[in-house]
Amino acid sequence: MQDELVMREVREGDVAKLEVLFDRHYAGVLRYFQYLTSNRTLSEDLAQEVFFRILKYRHTYRPDANFRAWLYQIARNVHAGQMSKQKPEVALPEEAREIRGTAVPPDREFQKKQEAMILRRALAAMPGEKREVLIMSRFLDLKYEEIASVLECEVGTVKQRVYRAMRDLSDRFFALSGERAS
Amino acid sequence: MNCERMREQIPEALAGRLDKAAREALVEHLETCAGCRTEVAELNAAWRGLESLKAGMDVAPDTSAKLRFQEMMAAYQAGMAAGQPAVRHRRVAWFPAQPVWQLAAAAGLLVGGILFGRYLPAGGGNPEMAQLRAQVENLHQMVALSMLQQQSPSARMRGVTYSEKIAQPDPLVLDALLQAVNHDSNVNVRLSAVDALQKFAADPEVARAMVTSIPAQGSPLVQISLVDMLVQWNARGVAPELARISKDMQMDEMVRQRAQWALHKMETQR
Repeated sequence: MQDELVMREVREGDVAKLEVLFDRHYAGVLRYFQYLTSNRTLSEDLAQEVFFRILKYRHTYRPDANFRAWLYQIARNVHAGQMSKQKPEVALPEEAREIRGTAVPPDREFQKKQEAMILRRALAAMPGEKREVLIMSRFLDLKYEEIASVLECEVGTVKQRVYRAMRDLSDRFFALSGERAS
Repeated sequence: MNCERMREQIPEALAGRLDKAAREALVEHLETCAGCRTEVAELNAAWRGLESLKAGMDVAPDTSAKLRFQEMMAAYQAGMAAGQPAVRHRRVAWFPAQPVWQLAAAAGLLVGGILFGRYLPAGGGNPEMAQLRAQVENLHQMVALSMLQQQSPSARMRGVTYSEKIAQPDPLVLDALLQAVNHDSNVNVRLSAVDALQKFAADPEVARAMVTSIPAQGSPLVQISLVDMLVQWNARGVAPELARISKDMQMDEMVRQRAQWALHKMETQR
């Protein structure tokens, strides 16, 4: 059964059906928060909060709305609430700090690992709104139409934002790794 | 179409989401524009890198997430049920409609109630009272479970405090407290949850869960508090685990010493 149909049943009072949506989307929501906060425990708390809010505000779901877009709108609000409570900072994963200044012969595996770490640092250093749009399009595989609903903007604006975020990420990546693509 | 418009299509092209006509137009443009070709190469490197990053960062949700969700659902549904009036109040036919007679009836009932209370045998079982107590108990359970799921540490702390008011906590509350001891991100909540487990002293499984939790804890304060609780319970059944902890060089020195002290203490309490 489609997400939208399940959510309609939840909205009409069959709240136990929310478990179906939890099974389908918890991992994605957790991933969204993990990319945004780099904090597993906090991400788990925030992901649970999203499903609690769905339950609490189920009457506000419009039956014609795309469920994933509505879900990530809630996730976005939960994250914004969290950010307003604490200093906005993204912790670098431990390995990213360890890699600095190392001079190990670059075999392929090591090189791939190093690139991933540099990319992670580049991603963490990006402004929040650019990082968010990349997470949605690249990591959560949301369609541009869905991202437009979440961000409440036009599809054309999403297209521009994703491109600019990619450009920004690419610049940071090459600046950190000290090389450019040829 | 200018370069800027073309470049905005690159992420979609890399994701394989560009429709055929747009893709062909982009390819045609790239054949004649070296700047956009470099742009594709650079964005492609970052795009592919994100793919491997995605694979590296994807960690499957652990099973406790589902349990926590189910507890939240149960607490919510219990709360909803408690909020619904069980029976619709019908107007009692014999009750007077006039305020004067209503007042007189109320005064009569009050006097009757006082007299009944005075001459009621002490300690007499009152099923309505027992039912009310059970409802309050359920309400405490529901509130405790719901608050233990909250995002804010202070709310979770209140949840722990609520759980202490429950005379006979059910297994859901015990699970939620153990969950808090093992996984709460806030040290103060974990410490309070350890204290709240006090009333489960009779359950050897709880002692086992607590001793298992010690090596997994990040805070020596919580570890020591768990050891102290086990000593208070005189939980000799977990002595072998405590002995292992006292010799585990990965553990904080203070914790090892405390475990050593605990073993000695339990030995002398025999």
